[in-house]
Amino acid sequence: MTENSENVNDTIMKMVNNLKSAVPKEKINNYEFGSLKRTASLSNSNESCYDDLTPIKKFKQENRLDLTYIGSPREMRRLRADLVEARNLILTLESRISHMHGLRKQMQLVFDEENQSLKRQHEYDKKTIEELENQLQTIRQREAELKKGLAEVNNKYDLLKIKTSEQVEKLEKSLEEFKEESRQIEFEENSIIPGLERKISELETMLEAAEEDAEAQKKLAAELELRLSEKKSIERDLELKEQALQNAKLYIKELEYVKESMLEFQEQAKTQAHKLTHYVELQKENEELKEENSRIKEDIRNKRSIRFKEPPRKFKAQEKKFVDLQVQEAQNALYLNEWRAVARGICESTESDAALPHLLRTTVERLQQQELNLTSEKVELESQLKSISHEAKIAKVELEKSQKLLAELKLTGEQKQALIHRMQKKLLLVSRERDSYRLQLDSYEKDLTLWVNTTSTGSSSSNQLQAQKERIENLERIVEGYRDMVTKLENDVQSAQPNIANDIVPVKAEQLSRLQDEVQQLKNENEKLRDRKDQLEIQLETYMVGHDTLQGGQVFHLANNPLAECLAQRENLVDKLEQEVDKLKRKLKNMEEGIENSKLGDVSLCPKEVHALKEQIKSHETQTQMLKDYFKSQMQEFRNVIYMLLGYKIDRTQNSLYKLRSMYAEHADDQLCFQVNKEGDLNLLENEFSATLEDMINLHLRHQKSIPVFLSAITMDLFNNKTMSKTFQIE
Amino acid sequence: MTTAAQKNKSAITLKGSAEIVCDYLNYGINSILFQRGLYPPESFKSDENYGLTILMSTDNKIKEFLSTTLGWLVDRTVNKVALVITNVKTLEIMERWDFNVEYEGDVANGEQTSEKPLKQIKNEIRDVLKQIASSVAYLPLLDCLCSFDIQIYTKSDVELPAEWAEAEPANIKNAQSVKMRTFSTNIHKMETVVTYKNDD
Repeated sequence: MTENSENVNDTIMKMVNNLKSAVPKEKINNYEFGSLKRTASLSNSNESCYDDLTPIKKFKQENRLDLTYIGSPREMRRLRADLVEARNLILTLESRISHMHGLRKQMQLVFDEENQSLKRQHEYDKKTIEELENQLQTIRQREAELKKGLAEVNNKYDLLKIKTSEQVEKLEKSLEEFKEESRQIEFEENSIIPGLERKISELETMLEAAEEDAEAQKKLAAELELRLSEKKSIERDLELKEQALQNAKLYIKELEYVKESMLEFQEQAKTQAHKLTHYVELQKENEELKEENSRIKEDIRNKRSIRFKEPPRKFKAQEKKFVDLQVQEAQNALYLNEWRAVARGICESTESDAALPHLLRTTVERLQQQELNLTSEKVELESQLKSISHEAKIAKVELEKSQKLLAELKLTGEQKQALIHRMQKKLLLVSRERDSYRLQLDSYEKDLTLWVNTTSTGSSSSNQLQAQKERIENLERIVEGYRDMVTKLENDVQSAQPNIANDIVPVKAEQLSRLQDEVQQLKNENEKLRDRKDQLEIQLETYMVGHDTLQGGQVFHLANNPLAECLAQRENLVDKLEQEVDKLKRKLKNMEEGIENSKLGDVSLCPKEVHALKEQIKSHETQTQMLKDYFKSQMQEFRNVIYMLLGYKIDRTQNSLYKLRSMYAEHADDQLCFQVNKEGDLNLLENEFSATLEDMINLHLRHQKSIPVFLSAITMDLFNNKTMSKTFQIE
Repeated sequence: MTTAAQKNKSAITLKGSAEIVCDYLNYGINSILFQRGLYPPESFKSDENYGLTILMSTDNKIKEFLSTTLGWLVDRTVNKVALVITNVKTLEIMERWDFNVEYEGDVANGEQTSEKPLKQIKNEIRDVLKQIASSVAYLPLLDCLCSFDIQIYTKSDVELPAEWAEAEPANIKNAQSVKMRTFSTNIHKMETVVTYKNDD
């Protein structure tokens, strides 16, 4: 402010010097004094106006005094001229001085205003700074408190964390154990289930096959039954035929018997016939023999008579022979009779003996023919019988076979059904168990997730602690429940196993053994499969996709391969970034410290920049100041020139309100006020001075409608008045 | 390129066969590098071979690597060439492309020739390259910064050239592998297998 005022004073001084006036130094001093005393108030300005006026009056009084002085007319004229000149000079000087005063006042006003505004701003800034400092302090205090609180809370939280983590670890351990258990159980289950399922499926397939077989067998059985019925009918037929056959056999036997007897008879007949043929000879012989005998008897008698004493041996032999023959003959006759009777019986004729052999022969032939027929029939029947019996045998065997098969299938079906039933039971049990385990697992998982959630969203410590405690209790309860469940399940299993054993007991021992065999077989198979699986696993491990096999060789790669390069680059980058981070950290620390030490923390941020900016601001300020000064001086000059050229001093007091004061105004208050209206025209405002100019307003403004003319007229009028008054005064 | 192979019109020499295999490796590895996004796509320029357009990397390292491999293929000392894709951040191996080499025919004969028509071999190679290109459909997305390394699995008696170093075999945990088609020159048989880390 003082600078400004000094500037203003300097300018005034310069202006005053430029005037080359003859105003005494005292007055200038007075003005200076006055100007120093002056304020922005109006009353003061009025006073100053009076101050300005007083010297003029004094001059006038002096002039009047001068009039009394009497000199030569030429001198008088010269003096008058001098006087007029001097007066003019004085007037111009006065006007200039007043103008200067006005200017100075304005400047003062402007400066005061600026000063005030700046002061106000300054105070405001101060206040705000204080407030901000206070705020900062409070904030810092609060921050410290909060930090403390945070540290406490953190400590608490850490403690809690440790506690909870221990608990959690315990729980996790238990959970892990349970998981392990459940996993084991599940694994067992899993290992059992697929086996069982496989078995079941196998059994099912077997059952299906068996059912199919059974159906096929049923069909077969039906067929067989059909065949059986056929067979039965055939059998019946066969029986009938057999009966017939037996009858026939009987008949044949009878016939055979008859035939045998017949043959015997025939033979007998033949012998008889033969004998009969010999009979005549025998008779002849007999007669011969009789003759001989008689002769011999005669001989003997003759001989006896001759030689009685010695018995003839020949005769005796003859006699013996004869007796034999006689016996034989009798016998033969007996036989013959018998034969005849038989032949008659056979021939059923009572014909004479002569026709008997013929008849017998015919009958025998007939019988032979009949026998032949019968034998052929018999052979036929026998062959038939043989074939039928063979067929029957085959059918029987088949039937037996199919029946056996059927029985077997039925048996196996029943067994399988029983097995399936058992398996289903087992499966149900296992699935139930599995479900329970799954449930358990789910609950575990849920617990785990819940726990994770709670830990991740760590709210206030007390709440958390409470929640943790509750959680732990809950978990313990759950764990207890699980334990109970496990024991229950174990008991169930133990109780179930003997039941199974009991169930098995009533089953046939055979079946049991068979099943055991089967089980053994399956076990063996299982063992084999397991071995195979192990082998395959080993193989798989060797072929394990993820693992690379060296195969006894070496692995080479380029030393500067892209991966290595990339890694090196990355390392470099990381190093750089770490360095930068360190730097930034340090900077941040410095900044924090700087802010705490001084309010101008920005300076430490980048002092160079700030300095440059400040310099820039300074240069800008000086520039603006220079421009201000320049414009001020130019404005002053312009105003002066206008005043000198047109005789009006134009002031712009308010917005678009212009006050004009004539160079020749009689009073300092004589001013004309013009206002620029909205259309851009000028309106003359009424005041004390304009009220005295009614004529001129009427003429020039209302009639001629020209402001310049009006103003010129006023100028002329005032000038004339002044000069006239002067001349008049002079006269 | 395959002039050595075509010198004797009806027969492919051992060296020619090795060159065919190296050509395949060059195209196959570049195709994988492009498909799996290991280099930015701008660093590839397209090249036409086997009736396919294949994008080839401008990196010379692969060619350098293949020149060494060629010699070893002629000597029949290479068991396998593996392209290993590794996560740079965790150093976890994400994928491994195995190019298993088998030697057919009279292994002791240095002047071995093959009567298999070149066109048929090229068709086989084209089929494999097509499979490689389509493998992107099922391979997991590599959404991390990855880099690759090419390793040669050799028999134990190999002279190690300069700038080469011994490496560790790359094992992948929880892996799954897909076998591609194989092709054969009747001297070298090349089987391509991709093994990748299973996300599930």
